[in-house]
Amino acid sequence: MSSVATLNRSAGIELQFATFYVGELLLALPIDYVQEINRNLELTEVPHAPEHVRGVINLRGDVATVIDLRRILGFSLAEVTPQSRNLIVRSGDESIGLWVDRIADIISITSDSITPAPANISGADGRYFKGVYRTDSEIVVILDVQEVLDVE
Amino acid sequence: MSFDDPALLAEFVTESREHLADVEGQLLEIEANGANINVDLVNKVFRAIHSIKGAAGFMGLVRINELAHALENVLGKMRTEELTPNSQIVDVMLKAADALSGLINDIENSNTVDVSSHIALLNEIFEAEANSSSTPPVRDNRSIEESEVATAAPIAAEKNELAQDSTGPKEAAVAQRTPSTPQVESSIRVQVGVLDRLMNLAGELVLGRNQLLQTVNNADGTSMQAVAARLDQVTSELQEAIMQTRMQPIGNVFNKFPRVVRDLSAKLGKQCNVVMEGGEVEVDKTIIEAIGDPLTHMVRNSVDHGVEMPEKRMASQKEPTGTITLRAYHQAGKVRIDICDDGGGIDTNRLKDKAVSKGIISAERASQMSERDAVWLIFHPGFSTAEKVSDVSGRGVGMDVVRTNIEKIGGSVDIESTLGKGTSVQITLPLTLAIIPSMLIRSCNRRFAIPQVNIVELVRVRASESSQRISRVKGARVLRLRGSLLPLVDLDQALNFDQSSEPDDTVGARQIVVVESGQFRYGLIVDEIDDSEEIVVKPLGRHLKSCACLAGATILGDGHVAPILDVSGIAAKTDLRSHEQDDDKNNNFDDASQSSERQSLLMFTNAPDEKFAIPMTLISRIERIRAEQVDTVGGQQLLQYRGTSLPLLTLEEHIQAKSRPQMDYVHVVVFQIHGREVGLIAAELNDIREVAAEIDGNTFREPGVAGSIVVDETTIRIVDLYELAFSAHPKWFSDKPKVTVDEESPFQILLAEDSSFFRKQAKDYLESEGFSIVEAEDGAKAWDLLDSGEYEIDLIITDIEMPFMNGFELTRAIKSNADTCHLPVIALTSLASDEDQRRGAEAGVDDYQIKMDRERVMSAVWRLLSPKKSGRKGSHIKHEVLEGCLS
Repeated sequence: MSSVATLNRSAGIELQFATFYVGELLLALPIDYVQEINRNLELTEVPHAPEHVRGVINLRGDVATVIDLRRILGFSLAEVTPQSRNLIVRSGDESIGLWVDRIADIISITSDSITPAPANISGADGRYFKGVYRTDSEIVVILDVQEVLDVE
Repeated sequence: MSFDDPALLAEFVTESREHLADVEGQLLEIEANGANINVDLVNKVFRAIHSIKGAAGFMGLVRINELAHALENVLGKMRTEELTPNSQIVDVMLKAADALSGLINDIENSNTVDVSSHIALLNEIFEAEANSSSTPPVRDNRSIEESEVATAAPIAAEKNELAQDSTGPKEAAVAQRTPSTPQVESSIRVQVGVLDRLMNLAGELVLGRNQLLQTVNNADGTSMQAVAARLDQVTSELQEAIMQTRMQPIGNVFNKFPRVVRDLSAKLGKQCNVVMEGGEVEVDKTIIEAIGDPLTHMVRNSVDHGVEMPEKRMASQKEPTGTITLRAYHQAGKVRIDICDDGGGIDTNRLKDKAVSKGIISAERASQMSERDAVWLIFHPGFSTAEKVSDVSGRGVGMDVVRTNIEKIGGSVDIESTLGKGTSVQITLPLTLAIIPSMLIRSCNRRFAIPQVNIVELVRVRASESSQRISRVKGARVLRLRGSLLPLVDLDQALNFDQSSEPDDTVGARQIVVVESGQFRYGLIVDEIDDSEEIVVKPLGRHLKSCACLAGATILGDGHVAPILDVSGIAAKTDLRSHEQDDDKNNNFDDASQSSERQSLLMFTNAPDEKFAIPMTLISRIERIRAEQVDTVGGQQLLQYRGTSLPLLTLEEHIQAKSRPQMDYVHVVVFQIHGREVGLIAAELNDIREVAAEIDGNTFREPGVAGSIVVDETTIRIVDLYELAFSAHPKWFSDKPKVTVDEESPFQILLAEDSSFFRKQAKDYLESEGFSIVEAEDGAKAWDLLDSGEYEIDLIITDIEMPFMNGFELTRAIKSNADTCHLPVIALTSLASDEDQRRGAEAGVDDYQIKMDRERVMSAVWRLLSPKKSGRKGSHIKHEVLEGCLS
């Protein structure tokens, strides 16, 4: 799980990250976690589901839960736009969708350029972040998927 | 050699192959690790070899057993790090493993193959290490090579290429047979995960086909239609074929039972035969796996508790050898499995005693339990029938676990037992777990599936009837359905989708799905009922485990996901139980002015247009017979029946009624009077209904008719079975000893009952037995009478539901007052529910009886008064009298 931490030790190793926007926040996930990114936005709402669960989708014959990252990070509810995507991550033996507002680039980050995350970024709770990385123009926040998926 | 169980053998071969498949790689890894021993890895190999050894010993495969044993010894030493693996040692081990797979691949001849050279070498390693820590010399390289199974040992062969051509003749024969192995290769193991994937893909294919069909139908193209038709067929066949791969004969489970029974009966000193039928019946793999343990438990139970010791069997004129029958067959799209034994059966009295002593049921409840209900006690949690916990069945697993496990996979279990004759357990299982028939419904424009097993019926309430049939009781809605009130749940509200306005009860037609979970029934109001469909159940992710209203989800034909509703979850969520109780109370308040109570009545027609009813609580059972089976002997109609003759009564002979027309078949309602079974001929049964109408005790009153009620604008006369029997056979009652109560000071009974009909009825029969009755119209009046001290009351009989002060409140008042707490209280009810009984017991009720069951009420009265009789002057009730009443 702690790929960033591991990399911190052996400085200088390059790792690829998929980046995406949730609200104004540019987030990144190690690309190994990402199973697929799709536009399957035909959600079925689930009664009595936790607030951060947007619903379920049919992922090629499996029922996958879709989690609204905006809710978890404490933003307002996302709207469905043509850029909205489901980022499917594998967790244990199930696939879980993360609802994101827009997919950005895949970037290479050397581990020693990742700095610890501040307690609070753009109003979002710092515990979901593993660290930040500065590009020329933007700050990329590295998401702690495990922490996000463990939200009850 | 011959094996009596080829299936078991095949199972062993498949399993051993699985074990051995990994052993080679693991041994090589052990070699690579050298002195740095990975204990976990060695353990893995050890366990694999150990399993093979154990199973081989069990099945009499001596060579395999010996070889595996020698191999295991060496591994055991490595495990404890007494032995350091090196190439030579691992070499020997690899070759031994190869020889082992050679033996397993030709299992039939394995016992004739000589593997002594392998064993000798392994033992040498084992013993050398035991004596010294030096590396064992592999002295006779030649002998290893000779016994090598060349083709099955590519790695070993690589290491010792020289050996290739020197394979011994016997071993060569083994080796040549290895690739084909025809006898045991009849089935393969497929990972369930792979099958699930296949299922999903097939589902996708179905979807693609549907879309294609749609496109083709819209556009015009005949050739495309042919393609589509083909695709359609292929897809369906593919799906069926894949489903088929999951089906396995139930014999796979059955086959282990002869051995289980043999070993167990030998251990217990019993003699048992096993008869198996229907082993070829196929069910889904998941069900085969789930049913194994419950079945084993029940078979062991049959041997342990069912079949008696041979001496005991002979003493009761049975064959000394007991028979346990396992029978599987298809029934109505499901699979039935019966497990029968001809043993001692279940002693229900012992069961009841135990249940009472364990506090599972009350003593009163036990005394009223039917045989059938009592047998069912063994499914109660925390119940074990063994008198002493034996190591055979008393393994902490009771029949309740068996029942839970079976119900978990959508099955059901039932039990029948006759004391002295035997016990039969019937299990009903679905064919497959993967696909369940269900009903698709809509609520708030969302689609949901309800499993058909939960659905009782579908009801449509027309807009015009809506206000009449759906009413509100204390904020909760109820549906009037055939005379009873059914609690309603609005699915929109239950699922929290529609938090906006309170739904209007009066507008529009309503679709109601009547569902049942356990013993609990309610109606779900839905927006639309779509269609019934066979759905594939998919689990929900871990974030949704807390959604108690859902049992899973399914993917519909259009690719959308539809949640599957869990009807018991919804009932719990909406707190339906408490609502229902509220309803009850409320109804009773509403209806209190009319003093009506719900009675469960069997309605029947004798002559056309003449309707009668009998309270269900008085009926033992109902039989349907051919009219010609009725004999008339000396003016008395009789039915030859189960070896005895059942006296029959006809209505027209004893009350004012028209005669019944000639019919081929009639029904006989069997009831008990004075310990005798009596049948009443009922020409045609109409219905069993819970009726809350007022009973008129005057208009049609005559001996044999208790009163009348009006249901659906028809007058129905309620038959008084006791009076009817009395008028038909007064002599039955004359030999009953007459109770001699002191004329001067008879026992005084306070009768609290709000319904004038029931009050009058009870008063009549109590007075005819010589009691003096003080009447009260409700609990509060009864309490006033009692409290005033005006009457010397000996016993209180009270109704439960009464205005102002109900029976429970009255009982509590009586029992908490020092002057009155010694007085026995009998509570009367029209419908005896467990819940009522529990509440009654809490309030301090001494006995609980059903209204109109004159005999039982009387016996309860006598029983409760008997301690008083000695203390009362002038009353001389003989003991025999009491016995007579109680019989």
